[in-house]
Amino acid sequence: MTSRRRPVRALIPLLLLALLAACSGGAGGNSSSDGTPDPDGTLIWGWHLPTSWDPVASTAGQDVHALALAYDALVQQEDDGDARPGLAESWSYNEAGDQITFTLRPDLTFSDGTPVDAEAVRANIERGQTQSNSTIAAQLAVITGVTVVDELNVTFQLDQPDYQIPLLMSGKTGMLVSPTAAAADVDALAIAPVGSGPFVLTEYVPDSRAVFERNADYWNAENILLGGVELKPPPDPTVAVAGLTSGQFDIAVVPPAQVAAAEAAQLTVEEQRVFTVRTLDVNNTVAPYDNPLVLQALSHAIDRQALVDVAYFGHGEPNWQPFPEGYLAYDESLDDLYAYDPDTAADLLTEAGHPDGIDLTLTIGSAADQALAEQIQAQVAEAGITITIEVATPGVSNYISRQYPLYLDSFSGRESPLQALEVLFGPEGLMNLGRNSPPELDAAIDAARQVPLDDPAYAETLQTAVHTAVTTMPNTFLFTWPRLYVHGDNVHDWQHQIGTVRFEGVWVE
Amino acid sequence: MIRRALRARTAQVAVAFLGLVLLLVITGDLFAPQDPLAQDTGAVLQGSSAAHWLGTDYLGRDVLSRLIAGTRVSVFAALTAVVIGAVLGIVPGMLSAFSGKVATWTSLRVADAFLALPFIIFAIAVAGLFGNGLFQAMVAVGILIAPVYFRIIRAAALSHAGAQYVEAATLLGAPWWHVLAVHIWPKVLPAVVVTTANLAAGGLLVVSSLTFLGIGIQPPEPTWGGMLASDLGYLTQRPFGPVAPALAIMGTVAALNLLADAIRDASGDAGRAAEALRNPLKREVADVR
Repeated sequence: MTSRRRPVRALIPLLLLALLAACSGGAGGNSSSDGTPDPDGTLIWGWHLPTSWDPVASTAGQDVHALALAYDALVQQEDDGDARPGLAESWSYNEAGDQITFTLRPDLTFSDGTPVDAEAVRANIERGQTQSNSTIAAQLAVITGVTVVDELNVTFQLDQPDYQIPLLMSGKTGMLVSPTAAAADVDALAIAPVGSGPFVLTEYVPDSRAVFERNADYWNAENILLGGVELKPPPDPTVAVAGLTSGQFDIAVVPPAQVAAAEAAQLTVEEQRVFTVRTLDVNNTVAPYDNPLVLQALSHAIDRQALVDVAYFGHGEPNWQPFPEGYLAYDESLDDLYAYDPDTAADLLTEAGHPDGIDLTLTIGSAADQALAEQIQAQVAEAGITITIEVATPGVSNYISRQYPLYLDSFSGRESPLQALEVLFGPEGLMNLGRNSPPELDAAIDAARQVPLDDPAYAETLQTAVHTAVTTMPNTFLFTWPRLYVHGDNVHDWQHQIGTVRFEGVWVE
Repeated sequence: MIRRALRARTAQVAVAFLGLVLLLVITGDLFAPQDPLAQDTGAVLQGSSAAHWLGTDYLGRDVLSRLIAGTRVSVFAALTAVVIGAVLGIVPGMLSAFSGKVATWTSLRVADAFLALPFIIFAIAVAGLFGNGLFQAMVAVGILIAPVYFRIIRAAALSHAGAQYVEAATLLGAPWWHVLAVHIWPKVLPAVVVTTANLAAGGLLVVSSLTFLGIGIQPPEPTWGGMLASDLGYLTQRPFGPVAPALAIMGTVAALNLLADAIRDASGDAGRAAEALRNPLKREVADVR
């Protein structure tokens, strides 16, 4: 070994790094052509491969977007979150609201030829309720029985009047899997989906890619303008723009810090309003979080707009509730509920018995949230709140262990707003770290559940439930943040959905 | 030996650089031009300027000040691992040169088993078990470093264990600790110095890798690896952002390696030990022969 060569060798990675930095900011953009849809065109989509291709066994909420390629659900969500017909062309409740009958579209089949009929719906609901690794059993607990009325009509009996069922059936819970395939080898569904969605899987390499081709038998096939979709894990943020300009991806999600690079590279950035909201999960059974005044002080001490401007480069909206503005459940009266005011925060702390300030520990899940946590730390210091930032032990799920009483989190919403409230505030809710809720909140959620979605009173009862939840529970909401899609000019009519990604109308040149 | 080693130009440069690093470790952020934690959210991700020589980070903090303040945590953590490894590895390594067949075989197999564990993955596993702290992770790395010391010091001691002056001392009734302290220790010292310098460099790389991955960081306290990781997220805004922390890590590691090489060149025996460091198994083959 010669000692003189070592520093030279050590310089090589650095030079490569500098080269990469220079390249990633370079100009470019996908070449434009005649602007006509290519019926055989494949869209390369940078998004997470699902934890399982079986919607019953899938363990991640974000899987729903990938699963929607292979499966259609009984109900679809409108852009704004309302229910619209999916595999079921209509549905109706009985007078009491404790029975719902879905009417399926005629002559539909799964990709293995099995008919999409009432019997298939019954088999799917029962599998979701009973399969040992089911992650949707809790949501299906409201259904006490399924009756096959005839080939196309199926009735669910409910344990109480509940008008949220159509919304519930628009997510993973309502996705129909071929009962033939499930009966033959249920474990095989994890890698080989058999659905009746807009696309059919042709190749799957775990952790690498999933290739789909258009399903000619899909009920809405005429609106599927893509020849296929290739799903690939999203690129690392630092090389996302390079991946898009080089054609490795046609469309991908990027973090806010990469938007400027994408725009500089002449790519199109689509800011999509979705349910995601940054929040602090709080365990109100642990001191000092058992004192609501402390949490109000903390909330008043946070300058939400500054968080959006700095940590999210202006992409987002300050928020004091779990839903974005414009969504039906959004309660306007909660705007500026705890407006930024360090003096009020200090006064509340004094009232709470902490005139000399208070020490709190804020836990983050990974270094990715460092910027946001550090900014909060500096902001609340002005009000006398000293925050120590702690990074959670790798592999620990605070939803289960609940060992960190103040946790910087993000909530991704649910198809049904009441389901969302249950997750955040319900006594069994994963994001309710104290696992308790006041009786008035349970009553408010129950009241909203019993109002039909098309009833003029629905919005108001729903917003009342949200108001009750936000003002009685410790969860502290910070801001809603959009999903930032970046694509070249070969991708057209990307759909803006508040919920599950949909491909109707999307085309590539 | 040290004086001879310092005649080499590379060693002089290395010692000067390490002296500077050590000064920053001792003084902490005393020499930092600004408060390394002070945010200026109106001036985030700026390039070099008179006010901020190395620019500002994602919260408008002065990068130079953070680099200086980050020196202590990064170097301290690396030294923690090396000290633990030295304590656990050196004396057992010397003793092993005199131990019986069963003890030798057992200790070598245990050492080999530990050598087979990858540092970073083991450290992450320990952080997962005992909490996400840099100290826990570096103790784990220290335990993995110990067998390296053990192997090298054993190899160095072995060549003197059968020497006539050692036998004479034993026949004259000198206790084992006297033999180790007076006759063996001076002979293995060059190997210890070379190994320590090499392992300190390796330790720093491991610390930087772990903090890069977010293991053991304590925001907002800066670390070199942590700065490198966060700067990579803002390449568009500050394309040369990662260069400063990368240079700090690279410069220190290179200086430690150059110093180790110079000391090895200046002392014949230790040179062989340094070879063994690169492949401890190679030494084992020589032992068997």
